[in-house]
This record gives sequence, C-alpha cells and structure tokens, in this order.
Amino acid sequence: MKGFFSSALARGLFWQLIGTLVGAGLVTGIRALMGLSATDTFFFTEPAWVLGGFIGALSFLVGSGVTGDWIKWARGIDTPDHHEDHHTGWEKFVNVSLDHKVIGIQYTLVALVLISIGGLFALIFRTELAASELQFLTTDMKLFGQNGPQLYNTLMSLHGMIMIVSILLGIAGIINYVVPLLLGAQDMAFPRLNAFSYWIAVPAAVILLSSLFLGGFDTGWTGYPPLSARAPVGMQMFFLGVFVAGWSSILGALNVLVTVVRMRAKGMTAMRMPIFVWASIATSLIALTATQFIGLAFQLVMFQRLFGMGFFDPAKGGNPVLFQHLFWFYSHPAVYVFILPGLGVISELLPVFVRKPLYGYRWIAMSSLGIALVGFVVWAHHMFTSGMNEYLRVPFMYSTLLVAVPTGVKFFSWVATLWKGKISTPTPMLFVLGGIVVFLMGGLSGPPNATVSTDLHLHDTYFIVGHFHDTIFGGFVFPFFAAIYYWFPKATGRKMNETLGKIHFWLMTPSFFVLTFGMMYIGLIGMRRRIADYDPALGIDTAHLVLTIAGFAIALSVLIFFYNFFASIKKGEKAEGNVWNSRSPEWQVPSPMPVHNYDTPFEVVGEPYDYGLKDGGYVKFIEEPAKKGKH
Amino acid sequence: MAHSQDKSSALGQGVVIFVYLAVLTIIEYFVAISFNATSLLVVVAIIKAALVMYYYMHIYKLNESEQGDEHSYAYKTGTNRLGLWLFLLSDGFVFAGLLVMRANLLGLTRPHLNQMLGLGVTAVLLISSFFMNRGETAMKYGDVKGFMRNTIITFVLGLGFLLGVVLVEWRLAAHEGLVASFGNPASGPLGGVFYMMTGMHAFHVFTGLIFLAVVWNNARKGIYTAEKHWGVEAAAVYWHFVDLVWIFFYPALYLIGTAVQ
Repeated sequence: MKGFFSSALARGLFWQLIGTLVGAGLVTGIRALMGLSATDTFFFTEPAWVLGGFIGALSFLVGSGVTGDWIKWARGIDTPDHHEDHHTGWEKFVNVSLDHKVIGIQYTLVALVLISIGGLFALIFRTELAASELQFLTTDMKLFGQNGPQLYNTLMSLHGMIMIVSILLGIAGIINYVVPLLLGAQDMAFPRLNAFSYWIAVPAAVILLSSLFLGGFDTGWTGYPPLSARAPVGMQMFFLGVFVAGWSSILGALNVLVTVVRMRAKGMTAMRMPIFVWASIATSLIALTATQFIGLAFQLVMFQRLFGMGFFDPAKGGNPVLFQHLFWFYSHPAVYVFILPGLGVISELLPVFVRKPLYGYRWIAMSSLGIALVGFVVWAHHMFTSGMNEYLRVPFMYSTLLVAVPTGVKFFSWVATLWKGKISTPTPMLFVLGGIVVFLMGGLSGPPNATVSTDLHLHDTYFIVGHFHDTIFGGFVFPFFAAIYYWFPKATGRKMNETLGKIHFWLMTPSFFVLTFGMMYIGLIGMRRRIADYDPALGIDTAHLVLTIAGFAIALSVLIFFYNFFASIKKGEKAEGNVWNSRSPEWQVPSPMPVHNYDTPFEVVGEPYDYGLKDGGYVKFIEEPAKKGKH
Repeated sequence: MAHSQDKSSALGQGVVIFVYLAVLTIIEYFVAISFNATSLLVVVAIIKAALVMYYYMHIYKLNESEQGDEHSYAYKTGTNRLGLWLFLLSDGFVFAGLLVMRANLLGLTRPHLNQMLGLGVTAVLLISSFFMNRGETAMKYGDVKGFMRNTIITFVLGLGFLLGVVLVEWRLAAHEGLVASFGNPASGPLGGVFYMMTGMHAFHVFTGLIFLAVVWNNARKGIYTAEKHWGVEAAAVYWHFVDLVWIFFYPALYLIGTAVQ
C-alpha cells in the first residue's frame, strides 16, 4: 500500500483534488467580491465547478509528473531518450512509464475498470425495467440531489458515455501494445506524448463520473440542447470530462499515425503491413480530426450555460439543430473508431486459427480506409426526425447504405478465409467467430435505421438500442476479448485458462443474443429509449424480465473473465514459444516481451498471412554484426 | 560566400511573399467594401493560405525523407515535423467547426465592426509572420542574434494583435451593441459568434506567444544551432498557422456579407 500512496496515480489524484478546490475557490472568491451569489446547491456555483474541474485536470497532469520532461525541455534542459523504470510488479502500472507495452496495459486496465462501472450502471437501470411501474427508483427516493427517475436518467446517460470512453481506452490499449510490435519499432514515435495521452484520460474519467454526484443530467449520452442547456451542474462535468477525454483520443491517434509512417521495419511496404496496422491508421485518421467537432459542440453548450451565449437557443437566434450536426459529425464516425480496430483484430487472428492465407488482403486493407472515409459523410442519418432540411435526407440515406459495401468486403473475406480451412477453436478464435456473427446481426439491423421511411418509425426506440449493442459488441467487445485472450501470453508470459475462457464465451454469447434481439423486439412493439418506466398495456413485461436476466448473465460471464484474468497472471500455464503458431513477428521472440522489444531487428521477407504455404515466413531476423554501444 | 548568398535569397523570398500577401489583403479589403463578392473573397483567402503554407510553413519539407540512422537528429526532426502537422490538421478542424457555426448562424450577414481596426490587427499579424520567417531563416544559417532580434519583433507584434483584439476590439464591439450573451434581440447570434471565434483564435495567439518566449529564452542559452533547431521551426510553423487561421477568420468576420447592427 505504501507503494500506492507514493505512486504517480495517487499523486495525480491528490493534486486533482487540490486543483479543483483552488480553481473553484478562485471563482467563488471573485463572485463574492463582485457581489454575486457565491454558493449553490452543490456548494460551489456552476462556473466554479467548471473552472475547478479544468484546473483539477491540469493539476493531475503536472502532479503525476507526466509533463516533467516537457517542462525541462521548455527550460532548455535535455533529458535522456528513455528513463530507467525502477518499478516492479503492479507498481509499474500506477506510475508514469514511457514504455508502449506498459502504457498499453495501463489503457486496457482502465478500460476494464470503466467497463465494469458502466456495466454496473446498466444492471441497476435494467433491474428497474424488469417490470412496469417504478420499483426502487421511485419518485420518493432521493440520492445525490436526484429522485429515482432522475437517477435513472443519469445512470442511463453515464452508461453510454462511460462505455464510450472505455471503448476508446480499450482500442488505445490494444493499439498501443500491439502496433509497435507488429512494426518492429522499439516504441511509439513520441513516448512522452503517449504517456500523456494515457494519463489525461484518468482525470477525464474522474470528472465524467463526478457528474453523478453533482445533480446528474438527463439528456442521454448525446447531450442535446435545449435540454442540456438546462440540466443540473452534472451536465457541465459530463461535457468537461468528454472534452478532456477527447484529447487523449486525438493525441493517441496522432502518435499512432506518425509511428506507422516513420517506424516500420525494413521491407515492410504498405501492402505488407499487418491488417491490424491498416485498421489502426483508419481509426486514427477519424479520431485525429473529427473528435474536434464533438469537443467544439460541447464547448459551445458549456459557454451557452456559462455566459448566456445562445448558440443553440432559438429565443436568442441560435439553432439547436446546429448542435446535432456538429455532434454527429464526430459521433457517427466515432462508431467506426470503435469498430475498425476490432474488425482489424478479426482479420488479424482469423488466418492464424484457420491456417490459410487471408482472402483478399488488399481489399481488406482498403476497406478499412473506405469505411473511415465514407463514415465522414453519413452523420445526418441520425437526424431524420430532427427537423433539418428535408432535401438532406435522401443523400444521407444513400451515403449510409454505401457503408455496407466496404463492410461487405470484410465479411466476404472472412467467409472466404474460413472456407475449407483447418479451423481450430481456442478461446480467442471463439470470440473472433462470435464477433463476426454478432457484427453481422448489427449490420443487418442497420439498413432499416438508415432508410428514411422505416427510421421515422424506429427512431428513438429500443430497436436502435438493440442494433447499436450488436454493432459495438460485434465490432469491439468480442474482438477486444479475443485480443486479450490472444496477446495475454505475450504480455504476461502465461496463458489464460481455456476452460474458464470457454465458459465466458458460451455464457456471454447466447445471453447477448437474447438481450439484443429482445431489445429489437420490444422496440418494434413501441418501447421508447431513455425512459424509466413503460405502459403495462404494451404487454412487454415478460420480455423485459427476460432481458434483465440475460443482462445479469452477461455480467456473470464478465466476472468469470475477470477472475480468469487476474488468477492467470500469477497461476496461469507458462507460455512457451510461439503459442498460437503465428507468423507475426512478436511471436517469434520469447514471452513476456523483452523491455526494448526486439534485440535484433527484423526484415519483412514475405506476405503477412500466407499460412499453409511453403515460403520463408513473414519476417527474418537480421543478425546484426557485433556493434558496440548499441543499447 | 555561397552561404551568405543563400541566406540573402531566402530572406528575399520572404520579402516577396510578404508583398504578395499584403497586396492580396488590400485587394480583399477594397473588393469587400466596394461590392458583394463572397466567392472572390474565398478564392483570395485560399491563395493567401497556400502562399503561407508553402513559403512560410514549408509544408513541402514533409516530403523530404531523411535516409539513414533512426537515432539521428535529422530523422527525429522529420518525425516531429509530421507530428506537428498532424496536430495542426486536428486543430484546423476546431476552426473549421467555428466557420461552419458562423455560416449556419449568420449566413450572409456579419457583425458591424470597426473596419480600420480589423484591417489594422490583420496587418499587424501579417507583419509578425514576416518577421517570424526572417527569424527562422536567420537561425537556419546559424545567426542566433538575428533570430532573437526578429523573434522579439514578432513577439511584440503578436502581443499587439492580442491586445488589439481583446482590449480594443472587444470593447468597441460591445459599444456597437454586440454582447456575448446575444443580449440585444435585434443583433441575433452575432455577438456570440464574434466573441467565440475571436476568443478561440486569441487563445491560440496567446499559446503561440508562450512558445515564442520559450524558444527565445532557449536561443539565449545557446542550445540551438544551424543544424539543430527543431524547437525554433516548431514555434515558427505554429505562429504561421495562427496567421493562417486569421486569413480565413478576417474575411469571415469583417468582409463577407452585409453588416447587421
């Protein structure tokens, strides 16, 4: 425990608290001097909380020490390229490290923490929905300044955004760990920026979660004005948290792009890069650029609330639909940010377990970019009912349906790769196959939402919720678990338990189908999103009960995963050599990965996925002539 | 001898580009006050932006691939340069979003502002970009003193722009009936858009000034040489980027459409 209290994480959190109090106190003092009201329901006034939250996040970064080298550079002091990391065991992960492998695991751990919190919120409001009428989130109860239905709204909204942040951190975790290894690089292009991108996400998550205790908010994760312009202080913490988390995503994406362009191994031409690298490029291009739009949209609402600048207030000449345009310009491509790395994991792992070349490598590589680019021109399909100009509907309908083409390319390739392969099904492969099927369900339930005529009926129903969960589970959650099972031996030197892994899969997958098909079913009957209660006359009480049970079954399966994860770190079976018999470079060296990755650099001499063919392999390690002084 | 000839031709190029930019700005201004020609203003802005990006920000350097040792300063600078440009691309989306907001909320109207002041601060920022270019060129040829002298001029002009916008223009705008809170129903969203756009830009000018101060101080300590001065290049490119944004914001706020009070 002593190790924890002196860690960068503990220092950061301490300084975040101090920074928040100082910032909030400053505003409170100024307001008192100006004769304005200095305190409010949640002690500080809204401007005080906003400035406090912002200064708190900055204080976290300075206090944790992640900006230390930059401050030295600004003062003209040189620092070594790499710092010796003297921490061992778990202490490595709560302290600042510049090693991309440590940062990747840090990202993944925080993603798992947030997935648990977001899942817990889901279980709470799912339980309330198990029967009609309000059972425990009643209008009489009071918690954190909210009554039951208000708390329902807060939990439902936070479930959305916490999960989104968790997904962003999850993909960053996998990308950070895997991409430099696939490229044969020693680290990311900018190790300090990499650490910064991770550490800024921690105060962001704290700010985001603090909204629960500051009156919450009831807009859902989309935060549309005019409702978000009137919601309690929690709304501001939500906006601020997402804004800060956005910087993690933007800077992380920048780092990935530069790393891929500048740090590939010898012989790794564009068309010999692993598919996962292509997927990382596509996802990073979106995250780098479009994220600014959600940041701007949220900033504008924050300013509207703080200074009365009525950007989205029709009474003052503003336009609420403008918010939706700015918001969806990021938030639609954002779902491709979530799924593209997952689809990359599927394409990456599939040939390993089918022992056959990946079908149509070039098409797969280009389809990731295709999805990313088309994804920029589909945003208004979220707004068919918003009152935007009607002539925009049809072009956006067609551009949305166009996404099916590059996505279809991926499916075609996966099926063709599976065809007549020698398929083996260890746990990672199960999750890959599960991901393909679930994502197919998400894909097939998509066109009804993209088509104007059907969307007018389906908009804001549980059908959308079911569709969305299918795409995200298929595109992110299943591949994410697959990636953890697959690369766990590389990171720890031990394998995860196969039996528990299979129980995890066979419990989660059917429950998940029940959950999302059930959601689509009740949605078609007339269940609206984002409400704490429904009319018993709809006759969907039983369906809701079944959904709730399925939700708990998924939670149980994830608990089994957690047990497996932590138990295997200590007690798992030792991973010897090339565990999955892969052609990929990271499996040609011992596990866990050496500190500076590859002791001898490698050269790409073949195609990445030519499994089952007689060739010289994908990479060849270069015997370096004995050179002195090279680390 | 060739060395100093290179340097003077590089400085000469900076002068020529500055003259082009100044003439285009004056044309822009007179076109705008004489008749309504939105598309022409957009074209002029794009030409100015292209000149700045090519001749002052040296975007073509992204294409120079340094072969050889990955640990060399030149290779690392190439990596840093790509990182900086990607950051600017990302940052550019913020300003693009603000322009979208302006187009959506104001359309072909604009706030009623002091034209002479607008032209004045625009000129000040443009001249500062010119001196930044001189400073960077000086450093490229190892002239630390010249770099420091030009950077101080850039800094002072930049500060002049910042104060001109925040202290003078914001107050004058308030007198014109523009208030941040859209308080005047007749003025509609003009005030909010004006303060948001100039405020976001001013924030970037402010950070640019901090970078200038940092590299000036480091140059004083003597850590930059003709071969190794990535910090100087980064600060200069960032400063030109701030100017680049204003190339679009100036017509968007002062010139396009009809003024509404």
